[in-house]
Amino acid sequence: MGIIDIDNLSAFYGKAQALSNVSISVEPGETIAIVGANGAGKSTLLDCIMGLVKTTGTIRLNGEDVTGLKSSQMVKRGIGYAPERFNLFPHMTVRDNLLVGAYTAREDIEKNMAAVHRLFPRLEEREGQETSTQSGGERQMVSLGRALMTSPRILLVDEPTIGLAPKVCNEIAEVLRKLSAELGLTVIVTEQNANFALSLASRLYVLEGGHVTATGTAEELAKDDQLAKSYFGA
Amino acid sequence: MMQIIIQGLLLSGLYALIAMGFMLIFSIGRTLNLAYGAYIMVGGYIYFWLSQQIGMPKVVGFLGAVVVGAIMGLLKHRLIVKPLKGDPVAVEISTLILAVIMQSAVVLLFGDASKILLPIIPGVVTISGAQVTYNILAATVMSWVIILALYAFIRGTHTGRAMQAVSMDQKGAAISGVDPDRINMITWAISGGLGAAGGVFFASYTQLSPTMWVAPVIISVAIVIVGGIGSIIGTLIVAHIIGFLEIIVVAVWAPELRGVFTMLLIIGVLIMRPQGLFGREEH
Repeated sequence: MGIIDIDNLSAFYGKAQALSNVSISVEPGETIAIVGANGAGKSTLLDCIMGLVKTTGTIRLNGEDVTGLKSSQMVKRGIGYAPERFNLFPHMTVRDNLLVGAYTAREDIEKNMAAVHRLFPRLEEREGQETSTQSGGERQMVSLGRALMTSPRILLVDEPTIGLAPKVCNEIAEVLRKLSAELGLTVIVTEQNANFALSLASRLYVLEGGHVTATGTAEELAKDDQLAKSYFGA
Repeated sequence: MMQIIIQGLLLSGLYALIAMGFMLIFSIGRTLNLAYGAYIMVGGYIYFWLSQQIGMPKVVGFLGAVVVGAIMGLLKHRLIVKPLKGDPVAVEISTLILAVIMQSAVVLLFGDASKILLPIIPGVVTISGAQVTYNILAATVMSWVIILALYAFIRGTHTGRAMQAVSMDQKGAAISGVDPDRINMITWAISGGLGAAGGVFFASYTQLSPTMWVAPVIISVAIVIVGGIGSIIGTLIVAHIIGFLEIIVVAVWAPELRGVFTMLLIIGVLIMRPQGLFGREEH
């Protein structure tokens, strides 16, 4: 039994099937990556785990069946989510954005805020700034920070490097590594950039057209010529 | 001149209070709650019934009005807004129908004729040559107290911040652990309570009648459209613009023109600056 077990998950948008029979299992403290092209279903998969999209199949957290629970319930059970489009509150300050993240974790505010400021010193410098006036990199930091304010045990991160400069990507990667190594968080990250994913994750799942088409460690997947060509630029 | 300034301030404070509850629902629930005037009317009548017909203390009358208003807001959310989720036009039409039903209920229970509320606090004071009743002064002071309390609540509490969050990004709020449904429900209750509180003061400023719900809705729509979505400060400022506009027009021109300039202001702002004078651009 993993910390999170997804079994035969399918999701639909109207009549279009976005995910078909996806099964994923993650061990506590592990970092895994979901790799796939645009429209492969990566964001849908994370939205499903978060209870934002109706699904068939089952999702278990530490063995407990949590399929169909609301997002707020999932947050309470220890899942933090940094979505691709951030979904920040544009006319609130950085600090207030982070505090909304603490909605269900009020007794941990001081501890979590200190941790977020240690990881992203820039957020402390700019805590009074409205997020609508921030750069993409800074918004990504607020988004990750807000997820950390929920006191998560599992962190879902959707395409953290999309549209960001390489220097910022490295900073984000560094933070994700720290979260796993120092805080023992379980991390599920989605990426189009397989090399970035490889630098973080111990295992990868390849998602194509809503199906998991391959899974394994980095070395195992690199042996597959077809995959190597499509995703690893080999 | 002094008369105009004092009357303007008094009327504007009242308008600000009335518009606040309407603005909350417009910003957070994304609904133009055309039945908002029903809270105001019911608030006025409940206060009248409790304090003047049954003879309870005025404080009990006021609190009773606020509680009934809040319950009405809750029920409306549960029975109409939630089942019609995602269809603002259907919600607006049903809320309007509801207001008309409430009007009939009031006629049935209290009769057609207008009723005069006894002053909440009797007496008159002269400020710089202008005669001001304690009643309207008390209404204005209470308006400000309620507005400041609301501001502190929205800016400084977890629930208040969650309300702002839901108004800006529902998904973002949900993944932060906020249940947008619950926040919406709380907002509807607060809005109902605010409307009923405003209704008590509005009724004491004018009088009680089964059609008294119409004018406050128009004023609220005007203030929120001109002020812009999601801004307590904007609502406050525009309430003063509209309040003073009305007082000045009545004083220097003719009482019949009272609402005309307000309407022209709405149309002007809709054309020149659709997001409102103090509103933010929607993404």
